[in-house]
Amino acid sequence: MSEHTRAILGRVPALMACAALLLLAQTSPPQASPSNAPATGVKPVSFETDVQPVLMAKCTVCHGADTRVKEMNLSTLDGVMKGSESGPVVIPGKPDESKLYQMVRDGKMPPGKTHLSDQVLAAIRSWIESLAAPSAKVQAALHEEVTEHDVIPIMYLRCTVCHGLRRQEAGLDLRSRVSMLKGGKSGPVIVPGHPEQSLILKRIQSGEMPPKKELMDVSIKVITSTETEKLASWIAAGAPVSNIQPDVADGRPDPLISDKDREWWSFQPPKPPPVPQVRHTSRIRNPIDAFVLAKLEEKGLTLSPEADKLTLMRRAYFDLTGLPPEPAEVQTFLADQDPRAYEKMIERLLGSPRYGERWGRYWLDVAGYADSEGGKLTDDVPRTYAWRYRDYVIRSFNADKPYDRFLLEQIAGDELADYEHATTVTQELVDNVIATGFLRMAPDSTIEHNISFADDRLEVIADEMDVLGSGVMGLTIRCARCHSHKYDPIPQRDYYRLKAVFQGALDEHDWLNPHPSVYDDLKEYRAPMLRYLPYVPQGKTPVEILDERRAAEELNHNLDLSIRTLKKGLEEKAAPIKKKIIAERLKQLPQSLQDDLQKVQDTAPENRTEVQKYLATKFERLLKVEPEELQTFDAAYRKEADETERKIKSIEYKKAPDPRIRALWDRGEPSFTYVQRRGDPNSFGRLVGPGVPSCLTDGKTPFVVTPPWPGANKTGRRLALAKWLIQPEHPLTSRVMVNRIWKHHFGAGIVKTVGNFGKAGAPPTQPELLDWLATEFVKQGWSIKSMHRLMMTSSTYRQSSALTPAVEKADPRNKLLSRMPMKRMEAEVLYDTLLLISNKLDESRFGQPEPVVIRDDGLVTPVGTDRGWHRGIYVEQRRTKLPTVMESFDLPAMSPNCMERSISMIAPQALHMMNDAMIARLAESLAERVRKEAGQDPEKQIERAYWIALSRPPSEEERKISLDTVRRLREVQGTKAQSAAGSSFAAKPATEASNPGVHDPAGTALAEFCHTLMNSAAFIYID
Amino acid sequence: MHDQQSKPVGKQAVTRRSFFERAVDGLQGAALVSLLSKDLYGAASVNDRTQEGIYDLKPRAPHFPATAKSVIQLFMNGAPSHVDLFDPKPMLDKHHGEPYFDKIANDVSFPKAAGGLMRSPFKFQQHGKSGIWVSELMPHFAKQVDNVAMIRSMYTIHPEHEPALFMVHSGRIMPGRPAIGSWVIYGLGTENQSLPAYVVLDDPLGLPINGVQSWQSGFLPPVFQGTRLRTNGSPILNLKPEAETPSEVVRLTRDLLGRLDQIHKRNHPGEGQLDARIASYELAARMQMQASDALDISKETDATCQMYGIGDDATDSYGKRCLMARRLVERGVRYIQIYINGQIWDHHTNLESGMRSCCLRTDKPVAGLLEDLNQRGLLKDTLVIWGGEFGRLPISQLGGASDGRDHNPRGFCVWMAGAGVKPGISYGNTDELGYKAVENPVSVTDWQATVLRLLGLDYQKLTFDDNGLKEKLTSVYEAKIVEGILA
Repeated sequence: MSEHTRAILGRVPALMACAALLLLAQTSPPQASPSNAPATGVKPVSFETDVQPVLMAKCTVCHGADTRVKEMNLSTLDGVMKGSESGPVVIPGKPDESKLYQMVRDGKMPPGKTHLSDQVLAAIRSWIESLAAPSAKVQAALHEEVTEHDVIPIMYLRCTVCHGLRRQEAGLDLRSRVSMLKGGKSGPVIVPGHPEQSLILKRIQSGEMPPKKELMDVSIKVITSTETEKLASWIAAGAPVSNIQPDVADGRPDPLISDKDREWWSFQPPKPPPVPQVRHTSRIRNPIDAFVLAKLEEKGLTLSPEADKLTLMRRAYFDLTGLPPEPAEVQTFLADQDPRAYEKMIERLLGSPRYGERWGRYWLDVAGYADSEGGKLTDDVPRTYAWRYRDYVIRSFNADKPYDRFLLEQIAGDELADYEHATTVTQELVDNVIATGFLRMAPDSTIEHNISFADDRLEVIADEMDVLGSGVMGLTIRCARCHSHKYDPIPQRDYYRLKAVFQGALDEHDWLNPHPSVYDDLKEYRAPMLRYLPYVPQGKTPVEILDERRAAEELNHNLDLSIRTLKKGLEEKAAPIKKKIIAERLKQLPQSLQDDLQKVQDTAPENRTEVQKYLATKFERLLKVEPEELQTFDAAYRKEADETERKIKSIEYKKAPDPRIRALWDRGEPSFTYVQRRGDPNSFGRLVGPGVPSCLTDGKTPFVVTPPWPGANKTGRRLALAKWLIQPEHPLTSRVMVNRIWKHHFGAGIVKTVGNFGKAGAPPTQPELLDWLATEFVKQGWSIKSMHRLMMTSSTYRQSSALTPAVEKADPRNKLLSRMPMKRMEAEVLYDTLLLISNKLDESRFGQPEPVVIRDDGLVTPVGTDRGWHRGIYVEQRRTKLPTVMESFDLPAMSPNCMERSISMIAPQALHMMNDAMIARLAESLAERVRKEAGQDPEKQIERAYWIALSRPPSEEERKISLDTVRRLREVQGTKAQSAAGSSFAAKPATEASNPGVHDPAGTALAEFCHTLMNSAAFIYID
Repeated sequence: MHDQQSKPVGKQAVTRRSFFERAVDGLQGAALVSLLSKDLYGAASVNDRTQEGIYDLKPRAPHFPATAKSVIQLFMNGAPSHVDLFDPKPMLDKHHGEPYFDKIANDVSFPKAAGGLMRSPFKFQQHGKSGIWVSELMPHFAKQVDNVAMIRSMYTIHPEHEPALFMVHSGRIMPGRPAIGSWVIYGLGTENQSLPAYVVLDDPLGLPINGVQSWQSGFLPPVFQGTRLRTNGSPILNLKPEAETPSEVVRLTRDLLGRLDQIHKRNHPGEGQLDARIASYELAARMQMQASDALDISKETDATCQMYGIGDDATDSYGKRCLMARRLVERGVRYIQIYINGQIWDHHTNLESGMRSCCLRTDKPVAGLLEDLNQRGLLKDTLVIWGGEFGRLPISQLGGASDGRDHNPRGFCVWMAGAGVKPGISYGNTDELGYKAVENPVSVTDWQATVLRLLGLDYQKLTFDDNGLKEKLTSVYEAKIVEGILA
């Protein structure tokens, strides 16, 4: 069960819950249609006398003229007949199908204990039944005028891909009434008042349009009969021009959100609270401690004692760089007698280039970074240029880019400056565009026609909005896609207003594709519709750029040649095996056929006779050997194939990347945005314009959107959103970010649900502290590094993680921060640390991701480099092919992003750490390092291994049992080596002579010891 | 809205933790803890999770009495043609060749290759006491029909393989959600702590379409992911080291690790996760022995092997996996899926020969599995499921040496057997052309809720909080249990 549910349940006194149950039982409403319903016809029921008074008394508090929850106004007949955001609530003549009746009948409404009486229910029922023969007034209320905004969305879904903004086949544009009247080559397509003369209807009704056989090519579905009827009735009504303006905040009070709704704590701007007075003043290093101590002292507690220097150092190193200190660094730190030695260390770490790799990774989780498209395609197509965004994030963290600027670039980088017409390319311009990759991270398989319908594209847009909502705003806005939010005051309208903000760049009716088409006949059509911008390196002359390109092309050409050679080599090895497999298959056929097929096989396809060609087709399966079959048949070949794949990947990794950026940009001409009833892409509600959630504003002030610069071909909508988000007094932006930073230092957020600050989220454990931090963050120029400084130099951070019985009793779940939590290494931290301590970490940074290879049993490993392996953040993040070692330790597949990684404790982790070949090699490599640094004495080796792996010396007990084991391991290995030496087959491979120590008994014993240390709890847990 | 069955958790936490402090003081402690903690957790209810935020596979009581303890899902990737296997349509014979494309254009993936209505090339016959229709392609299964409930009115919501596969495996047409097997073990845990709870037996010839995504745990923690057991070589990834290590070395290093971890634990009293971690190492050691044994079919009699078609070229591979599935069920594994490489049932062209070859590979093993489970008394609490992601259209798709059929999400067949399923019935119907489920239509969501129901799980109560959303296997879709097939 979730944390927040528990919290909510915890607040409901058990007695009250029982009482509520009893009441429910007593007033349980009639389930089916009351059989004793008054016979209709006796006295006609009327809305005004029998229904309206009830609705006014029981319903209009929430569903009235002023407050319209679910966009429903039950105070008038018109309102009742109009229904809710999800459509009609009264079906004339059919009470059991009418939502209004169902809700009151089933006791779901009104909420709480007051249910409507049987008599009232019967009245509502009779009234709905009576509507089967509606009065003129009801008919008037039911009559909905068909406007052009009922027709335009149908055109978007079925027609405008060929007759619209980008293409006007037959000179026709169907996006507006005016353009329909203008028509195309064959003249106007509508004749107002005369559907039978309107060309558009003729074409549709004859089945000619949209052309059924071409539909798939352009991701369009056949027009439905309801849609055709709607179009016809609009034309029949004279194709009236409507005066419908998009629904936006327009200065009038918002009927959907009340001021009471806005009272929720996280919707109020944070104000710096007074720093509390506490008793244990000696522990106060900065205000954080005062806030924490105040809560602890209420429970008669204080902070735990300060952790020792070694523990603090290891903690700080992992927290800021994701890697442990080198033994030499530890010695320097221990020797530093400066009282500010700790603070100086924090500064050093904040200046390390490893910092951005550590904290950038957290942000990549928020963004949902992946090197593949994911989505509905099996092969999880690589997302070739995503890594530029990853590098941008790492560099931004290293540069301590102010968080407000960081958001501005990621949400609206394309609208910050005119990159298309700039005379010189600056790093800033390049960064702005790369930053928009933030909104291109969602799983996106809209690559092929058959999975790129409007529905599929809307999924992508919803995911991008969810990334922004959960990651930046801390709200579960996605819940309002299909209906108004169940807990938070976010009406469905606000979801679509926010969607309208993105419409200029993410338009489901004008879509930029992630890849060129794989189908030749669609390639040309697709070419101008790709989401890439050219990457132009900063500060280079065109000649230099051209030279660079030429060099790159030459390099790539040469590398391609090597790849071809490798592939050919493998094919040559495969040929005899293939022959053998086929020969075995042929054995089961009659001899004559065997001979014939053998001949077919030996003849090149172009030289085959007609008979041979026939045989080749007929026995196609028999003569075809799949690569998997080869590998199953011949183990040696399988090894060869794996090795070749690894080599090819390594070569491909060296190729120069294409100069492209996968970006998001506003294209200046968005289609209209409509509310989608029940989230259904085919059911259109009201026309809305851009806006932000009403509960976070006064609900009246218009959302001002202006083009970012004069003459810009951009709407400026996202720029307006970004600027609104980064206002210093924004209630969520600063809170959500400081809470995230806090979480990564202290194990849990002050708001435990880091992506949900709404009513279903967890309440803040230290609300004052959160607000103090949030305001301090803004005051310090949105500097993330300042926040690290502040948090890490507090006494709270410097506490020991030891748990005493008293502390456990008073603060069992550490909500009050009575101690530092013990933390398990995260996936990348573990991987990087294993590489670092064994001298195998290749610290070259940035660029294309290090590829992975997949063994036939599913083991995924990074290919490595000449020097070792890169940090985990630089390894290819294919959603379906995550490196096994990291996936086992909870590296998530992003879909769309990850708010909080889980921590699992599963046997495959143990199996991997104990048995995986790469881990074993790293253990040998660590042993080699230990021997180099400590010599041959086992005691010194053990001591050194502890310093390298655990940043501390072994305790006496650890030293003793380790030494004992190493000695016995040496004995065992020695006996084994001797017995092996006695055998004539024991000649060791020549390579080992050049690598003394690795395979001698002492070397093997040390490697086993290092391997054990890597598996130990003391290694993987950080105090 | 909120889980009604949730219990106060704080109390249990303290008891358990203080218990460990007393119980664990020696080297044998870890194993003891592992055994005892199992008992402590044994009675926990489905949604009662540990307070540490650490998830495990300890057995949990279902929401209501279950008829099924285990599931074997025989997944038929590619969408087998229902009108050529279990749903005969005389009207297709009558109207063979007549145009029909215009009426169903929205459902056709390859409109340019659409032909007219197409009769089945296969002969149909009723079988068993139940008289369930089976075409000539499945003579062995035909003898088992009295054990199965044949649903002939399934439908789904997407006409392409990948989305439809996500739908059938995880409840929505997009990836990133937990597979049904993951939900089941999240809800129920597993009886055998030395074997994975959710096992996937994939084809050595290659992964199915959607690959490993078909058994991922999505937003559920990775502990609930399906584990591929390889049927050749070492069954589990890294089950054994690449190079053989002398047993004395293994013993010495294990012993050292155990002692170092005990020291660490002594210095960190009250940290429950350390116990769990030690237990996971113990489990890893047990798994090394049990996993190999579970898949070792050399101990089976010749007669049993023959029943599954083991030894015959066409059926050997699939038969072995079916037999392994039975062995896993015997050992208390909760959810087993058997896959075939690629999507062998995707007969856009050459339907006749293609379907013959698919049935040749699978018919005997599947029938053998049903017979074997039945004779051993295992079928009464093992649910066997056969089916794919959608069906195929009544019109032909032109091309190839002979025609085939394009995708059809609106009607297809799935059968279930054993464990509380009404045996020997045919449920629901498509229209007279086999295009659309019309009588008692069963959505994929309905079917999923029904599978959970047979396992004693309430699909509305089996929830997981994913950042504010109470997620369910059936997502936002409404489901109705297919009561008509329950015994």
